[in-house]
Amino acid sequence: MGVIGNWFKERLPVSGVELAELTNEPVPNHMRRWWWCLGGTPAYLFVVQIVTGILLAMYYQPAPETAFESVERITNEVNFGWYIRSVHKWAATLMIAAVVLHQMRVYFTAAYRKPREINWMIGMCLLLCTLLLGFTGYSLVFEQLSYWGVTVASNICDTVPVVGGTIKQMLLGGESYNENTISRFFILHAAVLPTLMVMLIALHIAILRLQGISELQFEDEPEEGPKHFDFFPDHLYTELIVGLVLMILLSTLATLYPAGIGTHADPLTTPEHIKPEWFFYPSFLWLKWFPGTVAVLSSGFIVFVMFIWPFIDAMIVKATKYKDFYVWVGIAGVLMLVGMTLWEALH
Amino acid sequence: MTSEAEKAESCPVDGNRSDGKDRRSFIARFSSLWMGLGLVSGYGYFASIILRFLYPSRQTNAKDKSWQFVTDLGSIKQGDSLTFISPAGEKAVITRMNMKGDASDFIALSSVCPHLGCQVHWEANKNRYFCPCHGGAFDPSGKATAGPPKAAGQSLPRFTLKVENNLLYIRAKTKSLV
Ligand code: HEM
Ligand code: FES
Repeated sequence: MGVIGNWFKERLPVSGVELAELTNEPVPNHMRRWWWCLGGTPAYLFVVQIVTGILLAMYYQPAPETAFESVERITNEVNFGWYIRSVHKWAATLMIAAVVLHQMRVYFTAAYRKPREINWMIGMCLLLCTLLLGFTGYSLVFEQLSYWGVTVASNICDTVPVVGGTIKQMLLGGESYNENTISRFFILHAAVLPTLMVMLIALHIAILRLQGISELQFEDEPEEGPKHFDFFPDHLYTELIVGLVLMILLSTLATLYPAGIGTHADPLTTPEHIKPEWFFYPSFLWLKWFPGTVAVLSSGFIVFVMFIWPFIDAMIVKATKYKDFYVWVGIAGVLMLVGMTLWEALH
Repeated sequence: MTSEAEKAESCPVDGNRSDGKDRRSFIARFSSLWMGLGLVSGYGYFASIILRFLYPSRQTNAKDKSWQFVTDLGSIKQGDSLTFISPAGEKAVITRMNMKGDASDFIALSSVCPHLGCQVHWEANKNRYFCPCHGGAFDPSGKATAGPPKAAGQSLPRFTLKVENNLLYIRAKTKSLV
C-alpha cells in the first residue's frame, strides 16, 4: 500500500487528507430527516437514468422505420429488456415527482431567499430539463401518442410570436414531422439534455456547498451538542442505503407495472383518446381552456414568474412588511396544480 | 487604481505624464474593444454555421400548386369520404355530398386541425368533424363549432376541386424534385 501510495504521491501532488477536508462538508443535523434530502433523490434517479439510458441506447434505433420495432424488440426479446426499459420509465416518473417535491420543500421553507436566488433559478432550469427529458424520451417510442405529442408540442412552439416558427423548424428539422425528427429528439434526449443537466447539477451543488444548506433548529432537538455531522462517510452511507431502497422500489414497480407499448405512429389518424403523460396534465388542460396563443403565452408567463419568484417575493416583503405572503401563493399554486392534475386524470 | 499604475510601470515611456497616460489607456481600451469584437465575430461565425446546419436546408419542399388526380367519380358514393395526401404532405378529407356528377358534389377540407395540428375525423352520427386532441369540432363546411378552434375562430381550410372526364382533381401543393 505504501509503495503504491508513494508512487501516486510522486505523480499527483494531492494529499488525501487535504482532499477529504476540502470535500467533507459538514451536514446540518436536520438533514438526518429524510424530507430534507429530497434533493438527493432526483440526483440518484438521474444516475439510474444515465445507466439504464445508455443500456437502452445499445438496442434502440432512432429512425421512423425502426424506432417502434426496436422498442418492441427491447421489450419482448432482449434479455431483461423489459426490466431495463421499465426501470427507465419508472425512474423518469419518480424523478419528476421528486424534483417537484424537492422544489416544494425549498419553496415552503423560503430557502430561495437571499443569498440563494441564483440556485433557485438553476433549480428551475433543472425542472425544465427534467420535463423536457420526459417529453423527448416519450417521443422516442414512436407510438401513436409519441407522434401526436410531438406534433402538438411543435405547433405550440409555432404559436409563439416572431421566433416560434423558427423554433418549430429547428426542433422538427422541417416543416412537419419528417425523417429527421426522431434523430433530433434522440440526440436531445440522450446527449444534449443530459449533458446540460450534469453541468447544472454540478453548479447547483457547488453553490449549495459554498453557501451551506439553510439550517434549521427543531424543537425536539437538544440545543447543545454538535450541530453537524460529516458528509463522508455518514451522509454518503445514508444516501447509499436510500439508493438501494429506491432500486428495490423501482424494480417492484417495473415488475408489477412494466412499460407497455401502444400502436405504431400513424400520421393519418389521431387516436380517439389522447392524453399526455401525467406531468403535463395541467398544461394540457390549460390548452383546452384557452385558445392557442393565449394559452401558450400565459403558460410562458407563469414559468417566468416562477423563475424570478425570489425577487418578486423580496419586493412583496419589502412593500408589505409581511413575511409569509409566499405561503399563501404557494398553497394556491399547489392546490391548482394538484386540482388540475386530478381533474384531467379522472376525465 | 493599481492596475493603471502597473500598466504605467510596465510601459516606461512617458511614465509620469498624465496626458500620455490617458492616451495610452484610451488606446488600451480601444484595442481591447477591437479584440473583443474580433473574438465575438469569429466565434459567432462558427456558431452561425452550426445554427444553419441545424436549420432544415430546404425550408419547404412545397412548390406551386397544381391540379392533382384523386379518383374517378364512379368509385366514390354519396356520403363516402376519402383521405388525400399531396406530394408535399398536405392532408385532405374529401367527402361526397351529392350525385350530380360535378365538382360541387364534393367538399375537400384540410384534415389538419387549425388549433395544434392533430387529424380531424368525420363523425357521421354527430354530423361533424371532430379533433380528439383538445375537443375541437367543425361543421360539414369546415366552420369551427366547439373547442379551442371555435374560441380562436379558426376553420378547416378548403381545397378547390374540379371534375374532368369523370375524374376528380384537387388543387394542392407539389413537391419539387430538386
Ligand atoms: C433524467 C434523465 C432521463 C429521463 C427523465 C428520461 C426519460 C425517458 C422516458 C420517459 C422514456 C420513454 C420510456 C418508454 O415509454 O418506454 C425514455 C426513453 C428512452 N431513453 Fe431516457 N430519460 C433520461 C435519460 C436518458 C439517457 C441519459 C439516455 C441515454 C444515454 C436515455 C435513453 C433513452 C432511450 C434510448 C429511450 C427509448 C427506449 C424506450 O422507450 O424504452 N435516456 N426516457
Ligand atoms: S389540435 Fe385540434 S383541438 Fe387542439
